[in-house]
Amino acid sequence: MDYKAYKKEAFDIALKLGCTAAETVFVEGQSFDVNVLEQEIDSYNVSRSFGMGLRVELNGKNGYAYTEMLDDPEALVRMAMDNAAVIESEDISPMQGQQEYASVALPENPYCDADETKKIELAMDMERRVKAYDPRIVRVVDSGVTTGSSFTNISNTLGLDVSSEKRFSYAYLYPVAQQGEEVRDGSAFRSGAQMDEIDALVKEAADEAISQFGADSVDSGEYRVIFRNDAVASLIAGFSSMFSAESAQRGLSPLAGREGEQIAVEQFSLIDDPWLSKNPRAFDAEGTPSEKTEVITNGRFNSFLHNLKTAQKAGCKSTGNAGRPSPASPVRVSPTNFCVVPGETSYDELIEKLGNGLIITSISGLHAGLNAVSGDYSLLAGGYLVENSKIVRAVDRITVAGTFFSFLKDIECIGSDMRYGLPGSTMYGAPSILLSKMSVAGK
Amino acid sequence: MIKESLAQLVLEAAVSSGGDFAELYMEDGTSSNITMMDGKIETAATSRSRGAGVRVFSGFRSAYAYTADTSDEALIGAAKAAAAAIKDNAAPSIIPFRPYDASTAPLIPISTVTNSMRVTKMTEAYRAAKDYSDELRQVVVQYLDFDKNIFVCNTEGVWAYDRRPRLRMAVQAVAADGNDNQTGSCSPGFGMGFEAFEKIDPVAVGRDAARQAVTMLHAADCPAGVFPVVIENGFGGVIFHEACGHSLEATSVAKGNSVFCGKMGQKIAADCVNAVDDGTIPGAWGSIGVDDEGTPSRRRQLITNGVLTEYMVDRLGSRRMGIDPTGSSRRQDYSFAPTSRMTNTFICPGSDDNEEMIRTMGTGLYAAAMGGGSVNPITGEFNFAVREGYWVKDGKIVTPVRGATLIGSGSDILMKIDRVGTELDMAAGMCGSLSGSVPTNVGQPRIRVSEITVGGKGGAI
Repeated sequence: MDYKAYKKEAFDIALKLGCTAAETVFVEGQSFDVNVLEQEIDSYNVSRSFGMGLRVELNGKNGYAYTEMLDDPEALVRMAMDNAAVIESEDISPMQGQQEYASVALPENPYCDADETKKIELAMDMERRVKAYDPRIVRVVDSGVTTGSSFTNISNTLGLDVSSEKRFSYAYLYPVAQQGEEVRDGSAFRSGAQMDEIDALVKEAADEAISQFGADSVDSGEYRVIFRNDAVASLIAGFSSMFSAESAQRGLSPLAGREGEQIAVEQFSLIDDPWLSKNPRAFDAEGTPSEKTEVITNGRFNSFLHNLKTAQKAGCKSTGNAGRPSPASPVRVSPTNFCVVPGETSYDELIEKLGNGLIITSISGLHAGLNAVSGDYSLLAGGYLVENSKIVRAVDRITVAGTFFSFLKDIECIGSDMRYGLPGSTMYGAPSILLSKMSVAGK
Repeated sequence: MIKESLAQLVLEAAVSSGGDFAELYMEDGTSSNITMMDGKIETAATSRSRGAGVRVFSGFRSAYAYTADTSDEALIGAAKAAAAAIKDNAAPSIIPFRPYDASTAPLIPISTVTNSMRVTKMTEAYRAAKDYSDELRQVVVQYLDFDKNIFVCNTEGVWAYDRRPRLRMAVQAVAADGNDNQTGSCSPGFGMGFEAFEKIDPVAVGRDAARQAVTMLHAADCPAGVFPVVIENGFGGVIFHEACGHSLEATSVAKGNSVFCGKMGQKIAADCVNAVDDGTIPGAWGSIGVDDEGTPSRRRQLITNGVLTEYMVDRLGSRRMGIDPTGSSRRQDYSFAPTSRMTNTFICPGSDDNEEMIRTMGTGLYAAAMGGGSVNPITGEFNFAVREGYWVKDGKIVTPVRGATLIGSGSDILMKIDRVGTELDMAAGMCGSLSGSVPTNVGQPRIRVSEITVGGKGGAI
């Protein structure tokens, strides 16, 4: 059965069985991925997927069910009703009808239209070039290209019926460098219209691996540090749930009740910008029209991100941040394009201002070493040692530790070198940041 | 799940362009996911997932196509899409199928479980946590069960079924004193139906999460530096999983991307270390009847008295390495091509005394409960978080400490294990890698590492 017929039948059955409203989210997608090794195709993946999520409202409560078999709408409705029947929370999860939506221009993805040969050739070319870049690049773990598209429709019995299409494409390169016994790795990607910047991509990935030769730990202590743009974006991503009204209302955010408070230095601002041209969207997972939210402005914490349920509970408007990680998941809160606002200082000027200290280029273990409920982090890190504003060597096997709030208060200068992660349901972006102190564990 | 004649057609289409091997994988599963916040059920969701994937090999090359549509035409279409990547001359004949059914039915299948049965268990856990202390601000109880039937057939005669019931309960407790939030968690899981509650005591789970949160609320910041560390049994086994396990998977070994490449038969760990990956433990969270390539599950002796004795190998890795597959091929679901993964991985019991390890350690960290971690198999660099730590001074526990992270490299740390206790325990986790997120157990007895870099933000205690 096609999705339109299926949803219509599901709505009719839900209303007949006593539900007061019902909503479906249908997602259909296809993808292509190729990865080469030693100038041969190593892996090649193609897919066609779809799924239908259903939410019903029964006696004021929501229940969810999801299926990848579009054969039996009544079974799905009954499962969702069964789930609605056990909900005890008094919070209301409203649905809404059709709203006015702005149109958004889809970002360019030339490789989505390219034929397969061209994608394979790009993956081959990246591998050849990275190996030719430096004799110490001994092999690649990955040299690949991914393209795909998806279609989403959200409909409900209150008249909502909105669809969106997304296309994505990226090239990724993961080389390994060896010098004597020492093995180092690097990685880089380019997405959308930037996929033809092969030389820059190759240079970035190769330099990251090569520049780590001779890395060593440093003595434990307090250091002045620069968090490079991509490391800042990772940290912001790790702590993003702190800014969700859902986390706050559940007592899982240290920001609960702190709206209006100065939580960061004046130079620091954080926005959620659904209109960003690299990754725009017109509406969220509940059909609320997108809007830009100033989360932190000049250090002052302005606003949580809301969906309809958290907004109703807080007595405000949804900020258009309803999100469903997949059509099988209940409605949650999620950022769109979550970005630190850049300053005016270049990366080189930040190093000049750093004087003596560390540049942190990578942080890992965020799923374990970072706690968005307490605000603490303690993470494996790597980067460079800087003396008299010059990089003197690479650094590995250290940890950086602190609280997210001390990070926001210890900011000395914000860079202008804005960098964005991969486009997707949420995209993070940040410039590099100079901090006056950071607790580092090493030797 | 499929007629033999159709399977034959799909495999023929898959090798039509000259592939030398083809495989069809199908799955059909249902799952239930319920969340309770502050004692009230907040969300409840049920899912039915069903799909298929076709994989073709030609030498070391592989192509994979998957589809959520399992109609005859869609399966043949997926086979053709995978075949399109291969242009070769091999013409394998399809060896007659040898049916093998590894499925065993759970005692209480989740299809017979009602939401009220689930909610009763969740409420017990919630009450136990909440009643532990008035410093608890929030208790989140999550319940997850699923039951998945899988089928694999291939051109070499494999025709295998497996059934994988799983059930997990997770409690996260948040203790707060006005300035500070600290969390505790406990999340046991088993490869069983609802009879898993013979093993899971919701009261103990709730209480343990609460105790951990309250303890951490009154903990000092962990000092940073290089110290001896004692790591408790159960989830402490995550150290072996990260520091060593991933680097023994063909995924990294076959292409030369592991620090343990070419080390078979060589000493990679201290003499007291014996380690195993065993997918056959009845009812364990990481167990499987057959792997996702239809190879029967078995036990692998990875390390014997410090010597590397076995890798974990999937079919494709097997081609590159010249070693038979070890029943280690796994995937999250049909949307991933399978690769070598861990199942239930643990350090075997030794002979050392639990108390002596701490008494003779001098100054260092006792990691009573571990969080998750990660590793870069290329460099062997790993990190993991300590959920519940205690500072040890002159062989005596002096105070709980928070915010500790352990970092190091796998090859280094394995040589520095100097004590292995006698009481093995395992704990459930989700392991993420190339073929998605799969349930795995980690485990060990209490062990001691003579020195490891401890990250934290505290000064001397």
